[in-house]
Amino acid sequence: MNAKTESIVATKSEGKFSKWIKRGGWQKPLVIVTFLFIPLLLLFTFTYLPFFKMIQFSFFDMKYLGAREFVGLENYQEVFTRDDCFKALYLSLYYMAGSFVQLALALYFATLLSFKTKGNAFFKGTMFFPSLICGIAVGYIFKFFYTRGFVLDTLLSWIGFNPENLPYWLKDTRINNMSLVATSLWRYMGQNMVLFIGAIMSVDQEMYEAADLDGANKWQRFKYIILPSIKTIVVLNLILSISGSLSAFEPPFVITKGTMGTGTYFVIMHKIAHENQKVGLASAMAVVLLVIIVLVTIFQKVTMNYLFNDGDEDESRAAKKKRKQAEKQKKLASKGMGA
Amino acid sequence: MIKWKQISSLVLATGMALSMAGCGGSTSETTASASPETSTETKTETKEEAVATETSEAVPKGVTIDQLTLGDNADLTATLKILTHRTDIVDTVFQDYVKQFNEIYPNITIQYEGTTDYAENILLRLTTNDWGQICMVPSNLDKDELPNYFESFGDLSTISEQYMFVNNREYENKVYGIPSTGNAQGIVYNKKVFEQAGITEMPKTPDEFLDALQKIKDNTDAVPMYSNFSAGWTMGAWDAYIGGSATGDADFMNVKLPHMKDPFSKRDDMTGPYSVYYVLYEATARGLIEDDPTTSDWEGCKGMINNGEIGTMVLGSWAVTQMQEAGPNPDDIGYMPFPITQPDGKQYASAGPDYCYGINVHATDEEKLASMYYIKWLTEESGFSYDQGGIPIQKGDEYPAIYDAFDGIDLIVDNPSPVGEETLFTDINNESEVGLNTDNTPDSAILEAALTGSKTLDEIMAEWNEKWAKGQEKYNAEIKY
Repeated sequence: MNAKTESIVATKSEGKFSKWIKRGGWQKPLVIVTFLFIPLLLLFTFTYLPFFKMIQFSFFDMKYLGAREFVGLENYQEVFTRDDCFKALYLSLYYMAGSFVQLALALYFATLLSFKTKGNAFFKGTMFFPSLICGIAVGYIFKFFYTRGFVLDTLLSWIGFNPENLPYWLKDTRINNMSLVATSLWRYMGQNMVLFIGAIMSVDQEMYEAADLDGANKWQRFKYIILPSIKTIVVLNLILSISGSLSAFEPPFVITKGTMGTGTYFVIMHKIAHENQKVGLASAMAVVLLVIIVLVTIFQKVTMNYLFNDGDEDESRAAKKKRKQAEKQKKLASKGMGA
Repeated sequence: MIKWKQISSLVLATGMALSMAGCGGSTSETTASASPETSTETKTETKEEAVATETSEAVPKGVTIDQLTLGDNADLTATLKILTHRTDIVDTVFQDYVKQFNEIYPNITIQYEGTTDYAENILLRLTTNDWGQICMVPSNLDKDELPNYFESFGDLSTISEQYMFVNNREYENKVYGIPSTGNAQGIVYNKKVFEQAGITEMPKTPDEFLDALQKIKDNTDAVPMYSNFSAGWTMGAWDAYIGGSATGDADFMNVKLPHMKDPFSKRDDMTGPYSVYYVLYEATARGLIEDDPTTSDWEGCKGMINNGEIGTMVLGSWAVTQMQEAGPNPDDIGYMPFPITQPDGKQYASAGPDYCYGINVHATDEEKLASMYYIKWLTEESGFSYDQGGIPIQKGDEYPAIYDAFDGIDLIVDNPSPVGEETLFTDINNESEVGLNTDNTPDSAILEAALTGSKTLDEIMAEWNEKWAKGQEKYNAEIKY
């Protein structure tokens, strides 16, 4: 008896399993697992593992090789008491100012190039091209560009500047940070522009026609149609540029090596980690910067939310409020009816 | 049937994803993946050989470099990967050496891998243990770490009878690095420019040197002293002069400096570290360096000094050959000691090893032996020092001609740190962030301050003293000097 029931159960469960197999029920999980396994593995090994290691390192007094000593929050204390760490963050203001100029220019060119212009594709191509070049190469290009008597000075002397009166672009501490910001502006402007063009293309053409009928000029068309329609992309680009300017690294590292007062937070962190072998301190600096970037991003999100309605809703703030109030009243009214 | 198709397509997809993942590794991966194949081949070969001759099995363990004779074990089979900082000669000079070496040892395959930013990268790569068989031992590796990463070449006492500068990479009386060549520290100058400027006697003190630079500025079109500021490491190179060249004391760097109070202060006789940085600061402040140091060009400066557009450059002797080869006037390039004269009226020059070869302690016995043969051959037979204008490592070899100006000048080789204090100098140096010979930023800051006038040299040196004292405090270094 027992054996029989067992065998029956066995065949039954086998039947279920083979049915499941036949149905192809295994396929879905298998496909999901196999397709996700590799990207997740890569993401874990190259992003999360180093990140958690870095957080771990930030609590140690350590070099790349050799013994480590747990020091608790000492590294963090030092980040906040050292005078060179946070002073370097002031330089980010240059890069932030630069990013506003960059976005304004990108928006301007994007608006021009979204409509029929002569040589449209050519200009799009040339302006996008710099973002394809690797940052190190851009650095070397601009080192020569700014060299005394080289490209920039020659160009300026052609249009009438006296080469004797031109400043030293990288030596003069009053302007060298602006020179560096200009290189990153040159590099990323095209990229922003392409994003903007994409967004502007998606604006309904009929809106322009309607605006034309109403006699709107080009500026009004930009202000009332284009800008509101691409708010999301503008906000996104703004957030990316601001957090990017907090972590500016390539231009000062390659062009000036952080000398002459151009050492940004990242450059100083790199120096502390490699030249002075204070890996723990540098990791703590990185974690502090991460926290700062997260805070700035949240702050930005909140302000943008307030100013632009988060940029992803067509309804204005006032309209939303009105609608909500109306809804509430309706609800109240219906409740009252029910009672 | 349909299922088979689905399964096979799944397999294909995962396979493709895997192969994509393999693409990330770029060139270093290809060499790495190439070597296992060859090494397995060589392993089987050596086994066969071992059965036949039993030579390669008998020799390896614990052999030291002085016991080897080049030409023995000619059937030794191994594949060696060598990491080097000399990216400029990886495909030329080194390939030539490999060819010559293979005439003696045809079965040893040698691959060179040149790395830019060597000093930074090598520390990371060492942590992996399978980076290759030979590399240039990084100069900022703590001495007590040497046995964990490198194979010993033998006892210090026996090896130092044959080779120069081996105490540099030594720990507990074992040598872990054989220098590739040696350098003396001095100043590269253009003889013709000196002539035109009317400099008849070689400057011997910092002030005489600055006067000479002034003469170059007044009487010629040449840049008196090209700083190469924008290259970065060229500023850090100034640290190399503060030991032997500035003090004439072989104990200064490793023995005394960690225990000194205010080592960077001005001395009345204008010797010591202060006088070295004094030359840098004053030359900059008096406008005797290039017009725009932030855009100076290292590759370009070689041709400029060769053509007489530059008067002097403060660089180690390794630079001389490069300057000579950069243009049509190799005979105009001269080399002089750093202009500091000690109270005894003599001039000294720091000398020391360039990067040292080290053998991976995790390599197989065959590879270690083959590496040792190759390093021995490089040191004794290759003529690398003559090619590069360096000081030969094998004792008794003649010095190359450029050291003629060093006649009568004592070369000072820094003594190693005393037992028990092997890491003290590095610890204080890193902790204080004065970064002697490791960090270019403090030296660059001297030039910046001189340029903008933001700080005097005395203020900078006082800061360094303060930082140094903090480092000494943290590592409990007793103040003795």
